[in-house]
Order: sequence, then structure tokens, then C-alpha cells
Amino acid sequence: MSKVARNGQARQGEAGGASLSQSLYSLSLKPSSSRTDAASDVCPVCKSSRYLNPHMKFLVNPECYHKMCESCVDRIFSHGPAPCPIAGCARTLRKGKFREATFEDLKVEREVDIRRRVASIMNKEQDDFETLKDYNDYLETVEEITWNLILKIDVDETNTRLQRWADAQAAETGAARRTYEPDPSVPGASGVVLKKGGQRRAELAQGVTADASAVKDKGFSFHGLKKRVKPPPEAPFDPFDGWSIVPQYYALQSDYDADWLTRHKGSVEQRAGGYQWSDFYSRALQDALGGLTVFIEDEIRARDVPSMDASVGTQHAAAAAAAAGGRDVNMDDVF
Amino acid sequence: MKLNEDDLYRTSTQFRQWSFTAEQLAAQRAKTNLQATERVKLNVARQRAQRAQATEFDSTSGNSGIDTGANTPNAVTSDKEVDCFTVAEELAFLEEFCERTMALGQYCKFSDGAVATCIQFLRRFYLYNSPMTYHAQNISRTAMFLAGKSESEHQSLDDFAQRISSEKTKVTPEQILAPEYLIVQALRFNFDVKHPFRALKGGMLDLMSMVNGKYEGPNHSPHKTAADLSTALHQLPRKAGGTAVRATTAQLTARIMEESYAKASQILKKTAPLTDVYFMYTPSQIWLSAYLLADEPLVLFYLSVKLPSTSPVYGKVIVALRECASMLSSHRSYRKLDASKEEQAKMDADHRAEIKRLIKKLKTCQDPDKVDLVKLNQAQKRDAVQGSDLDEHKAKRRKMDRENFQKDSDAFWGPELPKNGDKPA
Repeated sequence: MSKVARNGQARQGEAGGASLSQSLYSLSLKPSSSRTDAASDVCPVCKSSRYLNPHMKFLVNPECYHKMCESCVDRIFSHGPAPCPIAGCARTLRKGKFREATFEDLKVEREVDIRRRVASIMNKEQDDFETLKDYNDYLETVEEITWNLILKIDVDETNTRLQRWADAQAAETGAARRTYEPDPSVPGASGVVLKKGGQRRAELAQGVTADASAVKDKGFSFHGLKKRVKPPPEAPFDPFDGWSIVPQYYALQSDYDADWLTRHKGSVEQRAGGYQWSDFYSRALQDALGGLTVFIEDEIRARDVPSMDASVGTQHAAAAAAAAGGRDVNMDDVF
Repeated sequence: MKLNEDDLYRTSTQFRQWSFTAEQLAAQRAKTNLQATERVKLNVARQRAQRAQATEFDSTSGNSGIDTGANTPNAVTSDKEVDCFTVAEELAFLEEFCERTMALGQYCKFSDGAVATCIQFLRRFYLYNSPMTYHAQNISRTAMFLAGKSESEHQSLDDFAQRISSEKTKVTPEQILAPEYLIVQALRFNFDVKHPFRALKGGMLDLMSMVNGKYEGPNHSPHKTAADLSTALHQLPRKAGGTAVRATTAQLTARIMEESYAKASQILKKTAPLTDVYFMYTPSQIWLSAYLLADEPLVLFYLSVKLPSTSPVYGKVIVALRECASMLSSHRSYRKLDASKEEQAKMDADHRAEIKRLIKKLKTCQDPDKVDLVKLNQAQKRDAVQGSDLDEHKAKRRKMDRENFQKDSDAFWGPELPKNGDKPA
């Protein structure tokens, strides 16, 4: 509640200290309802209209959200940063930042930009909180600072808090630190705001040292926010899904002696071809003893008898299982 | 979660699809024989009726197109009741052609592995098909060609056809290709046949490491260390129940690697493929049985090292090996080795007479529908030209349609949509 009250004061203060530039600035951000269609089709810089140039495109720069036509942008900003040509703005703009506005109402455009920037930092989800109420409190705080930024209240302070929060999050997750880009449309060096922010920061710093000097200031603190649990390290990929081949009747030795082998072992052909003797040994021994204790007669009999699981179903199903016996049906010949 | 070598073998198609008990084998062969007999009788009766009709129709010529002029009557032209193969005759006929295929493979310079694979293909094929339906002559050529491919010893089709055709019988590439898909389907696309050849070599490696005192594997014998094993091996008797004489390492090596190995290898290459052991035993059991025939004390010693003699498995393995060995040794090709010259000659003569009778009999009970495989194969193909059935106009239109469809589907956005005024396609 106190914040809301302060908001009211701030707005009054802004309106009171209105310089020419400020009023012109706010004038240029007037909603589009006040403009006629014809006006929106005339470039405020070069006054050329869409009537004469049907392919005209209007661009804005998120520094000041002043609209101008593409050719003006090319003309003025091609040689590097230059001040905004709109009377009373004079902010330094760069060509790279110009873009087409998504929304006709540039206020909405700016709000969307701010919301996007805040959302990239304040990105907690409901699962991160213990109760729904804590999550709702968090959402309310986020909405509050978003509106502060939109209405240009406590901008500097909010920005520093957001940056600190971003740093704290990055430190916790171990992710790369992401810098929070403050709203470029609010001049950071503007006297009133700076002063206020500076005071606030000083107060805040004092408060922090007073409460808990040991705790690092995270910018925000939310009640009921769960501590982040580090995910367990990923196990190395096992292509055999835990299965391994362990021979029962032989142990593979590194080398074997046999007459017919010694003849080949030294030969260049074998070595040049990349022939691995250990592969031959393992295959030969696998062949030699694989299936030694597989008694086909017994196993096939066991295969034909339906297991207890199969008889769970109806008698018919059991009979079908016995008839099929796990074998496919005989294919009819193709001719 | 551990797998041993037996589990690995259980995953093979040879175990899952192509292993049978003796009863299953007999039942399946009887079933195949019964089906083929019924089919042959049905088809022969139909063709005879057609032929009778045809001769009635043009009684002036007296000779229908079906009679090719061969002097031996075939199933359709003879008037006698069709006398089909019995199961035993089918099997004898098949075995003869397995032997002939073995000779064919050697003639075409295929390795023993490829030849053995081919013979297994044939045996697997004729488990579900009868020689009365498909003549083994045609099938064995194609099976050889297929086995060459699956054992990566591919010979080009033209070369192969040229090599196996002689003055009397010309074999065209089409004849080889015609039953290829049929065979592959009957094999259920299982091309891998596990042979005991490499297994025998692996066993030799293992045995030699015992001889050299370097054995590291499991040891269930009373001789605990590798050196003890080696000593015990040197003292093994030559024959079962013989007296123990200490041999030198050179003698022992010669015994294992030259005498016994050569004999076992010969059994595996020449006899094992011709019997049903591939269906009823695992490659490991097959090579041990062959080795059992060659050198019994050595195999028993080897098994006593590998398996604890108190376990029931040990006894079962021995029983299985002896059964397999008796199956191998009862085969004609094995018995021939021990027989005297006159006996051999007599056996061969008997065998030849029997085969001659069977081939003659097959002529009268061959399924008349499945004689010309090339034609049957062509009939299956798209736009098959059977005489002038498919008229030129129709074929041309189909070709155009196909080309257009191909062209349209190649276009990036698929075929063009019908234009507004046009009729929807």
C-alpha cells in the first residue's frame, strides 16, 4: 500500500517539474487515438507521406520510441550514432536498434518490451514455491516492479535490484551471468530519478547492513521460495543398458598360440588390414562354447508348454498360445 | 544383468526359428509331404482334364502343346495313378541333392562355409516345401548363389550361370533368379547360419592354451593349476580306456592339431551338413561330438575342466554329445570312411541305383504347375508379358501414367492441384 501511495507522489512530482522537453517528450508518446490516420502516415521528420511513397516503412528505436520513416533513419544514422531529430528529445540513437513497431500504440510497444525484460529475470514458476500464496505474492511483486518501470517510478533502484537478483540467480544455478538491460527509454542520468534512486540505495544499503550483514543482498527476497536442488550429475551413456556379456565357460586370454596362427600373425596383410586378433579369439571361443549347455529338445518342450501367465486369460487364449507356441505361422509360397 | 555365451546363442535365429526336436522334424516333414501330395494330385488331375479337352477339341493334330516330346512320360502325359514320394524318399532325394550341391560348390570354388550354408538353406527350404513341388535341381543352384552372397563370397550372376552350365544343360541367369525370392521367403529372411567350423578352431585355441600351461578359464577338474592341467593332458591315453603314456609336448600338439583336428574338421565339413544335427544341436555341441569321434579322451578331459562333474548338466552334455556323435557316425558318408574298397563300391552302387529310381519316380509325380519357375516368376512381375495378353495400348498408357505420377511426386509441393474451372482429378 505504501508503494502505491509513493507512486502517486512520484507522478505528481513528474508533472510538476515539467520542462519543455518533458512535455514534448510525453506529447510524442500520446496514444494513437489522438492522431488521425493521415498524421500517422506522415513522417514527422521529413514530412513525406505514404500518399507519395506507398512503400514507406516507419521505424522506432526503443531508446525513445519516436517514429520516423526508413529513409530518414538511413539518412541520419548511417554515419554512426546521432541525436534523435524529434524536437526536444535529443537522445543519442543508433541505427542498429531501429525496428518496426509491432503495435500501433507505441505505449503498448514499450510496455511489452519492459515486460519481456523483467520476465527474463523474474522467471520463477509455481513449482518453485512452497504454497500457492507465496507464488501469488511473488507474482504481485513482479507486477509491482513492472508497473514501476512502466510508469518510470524508482527506475534506477528497481534496475539495480533486478540486476542483483539476476546475479544471485546466476550464482545459484551456475549458469552464465546475464546482465539485465535497463529500460533505455528512461534516461538513467535524469536528475530527479537519480537522486531518488541514490537516496533509496543508501537507505537500502543501511537497512541490509542493519538486518543481516552476512547475507548477500539479492535484490529481492520472497517468502516460501524453495531452495534450488542441484540436479544429480548425468550418468555416462551406456549403450547396452546395463547388460554385459560375461562368459561362463572360458576366460578370454590376451594371446593364443597355434601353428596356423603364427603363420598369419606377423604378416603385413593382416596388420595393414587392421585385423584384430583379439576379435577373432573372442568370436572363436564364443562359437566354441556358446550353446554348450543349451539342450534344444528340453528348451523347445519348455517353449511349447504355455507358461502360467498365459493361462490367466480365457481357456481359448491359452489354447491359442499353445497352438502358436511362439512361432510364426507358415508362410504360403509366393507362386 | 549379465549374459553368458549360451544366452547369446539363444538370441540367434538358428535357435529361435530353426531348432527342432526329432519329433517336430518328423511331424513337419510328414505335414509338408501330405500337403504336397494333395496338391500334386489335384493339379495333375486338373491338367489331365484340360489336356483331354484339348485333344478332343483338335483331334486332328493328336498332340497337344503340353507334351514336349520327351520320351519319358511325365505326370500329366502318363495315364497311371500318380505315385508320390514318401517322407523317407523325399529325405533321401534331398540328401542326394545336398551332396551334389557340395560338389557344385567345390566346383565353383566356394569356401566350405558357404557350401555348408547353402546346404542348410536347402534343408531349411525343404522342411516347408517338398521336392515334388520344387525340383531340387533348380533350388540348389539358386541356394548356392544366395549362400555365396550371404557369406560374402559373391560371384556375379552371369559368371555363376556360365560356370554351372554345361554342354547338355544351359543355365540362364533368369533360371537362377526365378526362385530366389521364393527361397528367401521360405528361409524367413534368416541368412545367418551358425557353423561349427570357427567353433572348432576356438576349441583348439583353448585346448592348446591348456597344453602350454597358460589356461586361465574356469577349472572344475582335480588338477588345480594351469601347470597341473598341462601335465594331466600329457598323460592322457590315446584311446578311451587305454593306458596312460606320458607324451612329449610335440607329440601332444601333433595329436591335437593334426590328427584329431583334421579328422573332426573332415566330419564337420563332409558329414555334419548332410545330417539333421544343425536342427537338433548347437554348433558347440556339434564340434565337440565330431571331436569326440576323433579323440574321445581329449573331449572328456576338456569337458571335465569346463563343467563340474558332479552337476547334472555335465551328464546331460555328455549324453547330448554321444547322441549327436552317433547321428554323425551313422551317416553314409562317415560309414564309408571305415569301410573296405569293395564295401565302398557296393554302397555307392546301391546308392546310385536308389537315386536313379527316385529321379525317375519324381518325373511322374512332379507338380505340373511349378515346373517352369521362370515363367511363374515373370507372371508375378508388373506388366508381365504373357504371350500377347497385355495389348500394346494398355501397356503404353500404364507406362505414361506411372511416369506422370513419378514426375508429379518429385515436384517439391507434390502434384499440382486441379485448377478452378477444371474437373477434379
